[in-house]
Amino acid sequence: MFRSLTARAIIPVTVSVTGFVIVCCILLYAIMKTDMTNDVIRYETGQAGIIVKATRYAMLHDDRESLANTIANIGTQEGVEHARIFNKKGLIMFSSTGAEIGRLLDKNAAGCVECHSGPVPTATLGDMKQARRFVNSRGKDVIAITAPIYNEPSCYQAACHVHTAEQKILGTLDIGLSAAPLVHNLAVMQGRMIVFSLMVLLVTIGGVAALLRRYVFLPLKLLVDYTDKAIQGIDQELPPCGTEIDRLGGNIRRIVGELKASRQERTSWNKEE
Amino acid sequence: MEQGGVTLPGGQRQTPDCGENHDRLRREALDTIRTLHRKFTAELLSVALFLLVSLAALGDFSFFPSLPPQVRTALGRPPSVNMISALLLVYIFSAIILTLSRMMSGSGSSGGVSHAGYLAGFYGFYHFSGKLPENFWAVFAAGVTILGLESYHLWIYCSEGIERERDLLAHLDSTEQRGR
Repeated sequence: MFRSLTARAIIPVTVSVTGFVIVCCILLYAIMKTDMTNDVIRYETGQAGIIVKATRYAMLHDDRESLANTIANIGTQEGVEHARIFNKKGLIMFSSTGAEIGRLLDKNAAGCVECHSGPVPTATLGDMKQARRFVNSRGKDVIAITAPIYNEPSCYQAACHVHTAEQKILGTLDIGLSAAPLVHNLAVMQGRMIVFSLMVLLVTIGGVAALLRRYVFLPLKLLVDYTDKAIQGIDQELPPCGTEIDRLGGNIRRIVGELKASRQERTSWNKEE
Repeated sequence: MEQGGVTLPGGQRQTPDCGENHDRLRREALDTIRTLHRKFTAELLSVALFLLVSLAALGDFSFFPSLPPQVRTALGRPPSVNMISALLLVYIFSAIILTLSRMMSGSGSSGGVSHAGYLAGFYGFYHFSGKLPENFWAVFAAGVTILGLESYHLWIYCSEGIERERDLLAHLDSTEQRGR
């Protein structure tokens, strides 16, 4: 079955096209997944920057009540899984989840270890290094960002504050958004790519198979039938086969004609004898 | 196919010793059959090697000890994932074209072991850039496509060759039986 002419014509085309399309789709999906995840991280970093800027005034005036309200309200927004601000020591000062206020964070936990892996904590990180992805206690897939709150002249020059100019970071904002929209978009994209690949494969392989059948296999079958019947001595007209195969058909027709003439000659000789 | 006659410089023909000639032809046919069997077995071994490497890559080579930091520093920064992916696309495209052209020309050459090596290299590059889990199936599909196509081509080529040689052996047997 796999050594027939049909199989030899169709299998290499099928394997080549299918394999190439699958590899292209997997690579494209991996690239698009990375791009979309990076976009979400950039968006979240922007959101974190907006929150830090929005709470700056309350921080300068040491308005803890206003700050706590702002963080709690941010936490009620759909898609926000958590929002918290912790100080340099890792103590959670404000949080959208009231129960965790006053809790101390582990420096080796995801989101902290990126800066605290060495003896001296890193003061700046790229957007992608500030991000972490995990499944929270409610079983939700979360992409979280930690944005440092830097010490500025207005912070250490203000009369009400005790920060020194040497302190680079005063605290950190940690905000986690649900990754569900990203997962949904990726699943939709994956489904569309599978449908698109199947359509490409069907059109390519179906097209090649149909054309081969129409222009090669059917004319060959006609020629085989014609020669089989000629061998058995059955008279039959050879239908047109098309282009190159027509030439072959013409040659076969001539040979069959000569065979028929020699048979008739032999028969007439036999009768004469 | 050789018919047993030897053409001399003057265009005269000489009939050689048929028994000796038949023995030589039989030996050559059996050698060719053995060579073709070996060729196809080597291709199957390349496929098995690729599957073993893929099995190791599926677990992100976790059972190998990780490279010491000095070696990693000496190796330098791995190429970007996009660059590795572009190279993989170029590789699968050229490998498919090469195998299809071999099929067209009826050549029996193949690059089984070297393909397994190239694919292991891709697994290695993705592993060192930390993106092997996302790209494992791309390399695996590329390997299955290339080695599948090569194996099919070699299977057809070898089985046709073996069939030809067996026909020759059968013809020699019948000639000898008629001679007795």
